[in-house]
Amino acid sequence: MATQLLSRPEEKTERRARKVTERQRPLWLLAPGGILMVLVILIPLALALWISLIDLDQYTLRRWVEAPFIGLANYAESLDAGLLHSIWISVSFALIATIVTVPIGIAAALVTQNAYRGRGLVRAVFLIPYVLPSFVVATVWRTMLQPDGIVNSLLGQENSLWLSGSRSYWTLILVEIWAAWPFIYLMSLAALQSVDHEVHEASAVDGVTWWPKLIKVILPYLRGPVLLACLLATLNHINNFTLPFVLFGAPAPDNVNVMPMLVYVTSFQGLRFGLSAAMAVASLIIIAIPLFVYLRAVRLDVHEEGGKR
Amino acid sequence: MRTRKIMALAGATVLAAALTACGGGDDSGGGSGSGKTLDVLIGANTQYPEEFQAWQKSISDKFKAQTGATVKFETFATANDELTKIQTSVVAGSGPDVYAVGTTMTPTAYSTGAFVKMGDDEWKKIGGKDKFNPATLGISGPDENNQVGIPWVSRPFVMAYNTELLKAAGIDKPATTWDELTQQAKQLTKGDQHGLAIAYKDNFDPWKFVWGMSVQAGNPLVDGKTARLQDPTVQKAYQTYFGWLTNDKVVDPAAVGWTNPQALAAFAKGKTGYFMLTTTTATNSLEQGAVKGKWAFALLPTVPPGATTRPANGVEAASILSGDNLLVADYSKNKDLAFQYVKLITDPEVQLDYYQKFGNLPANASALQTLASDQRLAPVTEAAKKSVATPFTGGWSDIQLALTNVAVQSLPDLAKGSLSPAQIDSRIATAQKSAQSALDRAK
Repeated sequence: MATQLLSRPEEKTERRARKVTERQRPLWLLAPGGILMVLVILIPLALALWISLIDLDQYTLRRWVEAPFIGLANYAESLDAGLLHSIWISVSFALIATIVTVPIGIAAALVTQNAYRGRGLVRAVFLIPYVLPSFVVATVWRTMLQPDGIVNSLLGQENSLWLSGSRSYWTLILVEIWAAWPFIYLMSLAALQSVDHEVHEASAVDGVTWWPKLIKVILPYLRGPVLLACLLATLNHINNFTLPFVLFGAPAPDNVNVMPMLVYVTSFQGLRFGLSAAMAVASLIIIAIPLFVYLRAVRLDVHEEGGKR
Repeated sequence: MRTRKIMALAGATVLAAALTACGGGDDSGGGSGSGKTLDVLIGANTQYPEEFQAWQKSISDKFKAQTGATVKFETFATANDELTKIQTSVVAGSGPDVYAVGTTMTPTAYSTGAFVKMGDDEWKKIGGKDKFNPATLGISGPDENNQVGIPWVSRPFVMAYNTELLKAAGIDKPATTWDELTQQAKQLTKGDQHGLAIAYKDNFDPWKFVWGMSVQAGNPLVDGKTARLQDPTVQKAYQTYFGWLTNDKVVDPAAVGWTNPQALAAFAKGKTGYFMLTTTTATNSLEQGAVKGKWAFALLPTVPPGATTRPANGVEAASILSGDNLLVADYSKNKDLAFQYVKLITDPEVQLDYYQKFGNLPANASALQTLASDQRLAPVTEAAKKSVATPFTGGWSDIQLALTNVAVQSLPDLAKGSLSPAQIDSRIATAQKSAQSALDRAK
């Protein structure tokens, strides 16, 4: 009772003090970053929005400011031009790639957690797919996946197609997984390193065997970073243009006509800048909604303060 | 009005930033020719990069001696890079003074309205219109009075054949009709030997076959504002093109995955009768392969499939009009210098030198004539004269894309070895739809 009474005034002063500091925060220090954000993100975004509402193509490009305003016609046309199909392919491909890479990445992180001879080498080797430029990865895979290429001759199949038709979808996923799992590995490794030494000691004192320790003690530590990694990885998969472009070329087979490919072909081969801007904006919105839900659901702010708020 | 100004300002800021990043911008220096810089955009030559550097240097030196100004070459890797460069320069109103643009892209570039239309004065400045091979002017503009493209080099398409294999099969001369070609290909196919090498997965080859066969049958694909893809001639063209693999079985099944360089490599091994679509730039690769000394160029057939003579309205199209045009930018502050540069590189001496180094045929008529006496080149120079321009419409790039897409989406069926006419028809219908909508938008 007494402590309660005592604590109250203390809390009040603390709150007042914080309010004052909040008001006096030198927000202007953010100005350089803010200006950069406006220049690099907000203005182009506003331009994209504007372009998506006008009929901008090769005929109107020269006097683009005077290009006719056509409202939502570009959006209506983009739905007709296979945008939903492309979004479906992009999202499903990205989710599958993420779901598969997570266990691989975590397993790889666990394998390189404890010190042993040659660990440095193993860690370096694990990073190779991540370090290679996407262009190189795609070119090498494309060569291997030719009808008369090395993959078919290893599998004993003749002339089966990996780069066209329905199988191309799985080719894209396979190559993306190959190239992207080290990202999950890096994030998990970082999280593993941040597990307190005391935790390991306490588990040892309690005599926990490795499997329950892994499931009940270690993995919960990974939750935050891995959920964040999932988000970033999925977005990276969706945005990956180089890989499908180099693997399949443009125009791409329908099965791998992912969103970036569709937007690219529409704007730089079809020269419909208005239409492609509408596609980009529409897909941004369509992807932002589940993204928002995900962010709310997993609450990525791992700090206690953030959690309370 | 105010919002428009703000938008323009914002756009200009962003574009200016983008352009500086690309290393663009034009230097419009002092008063006279000396001290000025002419900015030239030109395709990178990945095949002979060092020779290309040397060529740029020699042109730059010559130009400096003539005018006192320097030429600054900028290169682009792909047609799309170039298009992006054109787009940003067009919007910003500054950039390269002279562009070298592929023939099929000339209509697209024309439709932006950003290039100098060639009047009598302009032609005179570069040495007159008559100095060019007349066929090469076919895609300079929509009509005689609205030309922007100045022919620079030709790369007409021809086929290459293996002289030994044809001889062994008892064929004394290469085919001149598509049906004859199919017949010869069947004769040539036995064991591990195939009649034709075709790059089915190439992103640029397939439409050229379809266009060629259709034009020969009297269908130019574009009729004013109407796309004519859903047409028996186009059907027949696709059926013939795919049929070589599925019905006639005269093509290596692996060709389903080949791009043009891969088909070239396959032909160079010496086990194939014909390599269907190539240009003189392939010469060096052929001379280094197993076919060295055993190959020759020939005109592509000019009689449509299913016929023994060309119908009355058919056109003797041996090749698309292929090569590069030069365009002078309307925004250029150095137009006179630009025309002097164009004159320099379209004169016979420079044109022949360029051919010797890179295998691109001269657009200059007298330079081309001196090459006609070369036995091996005779079919190619003939193809240059029998080249026919693809329809001059800003919508052509879309139509080309739609025609290629028919092939791209058919590859899985092709690999299975069967492709029904109904499947082809439904894909042609899709192509027709996008071709028509491209033409509807054309202005």
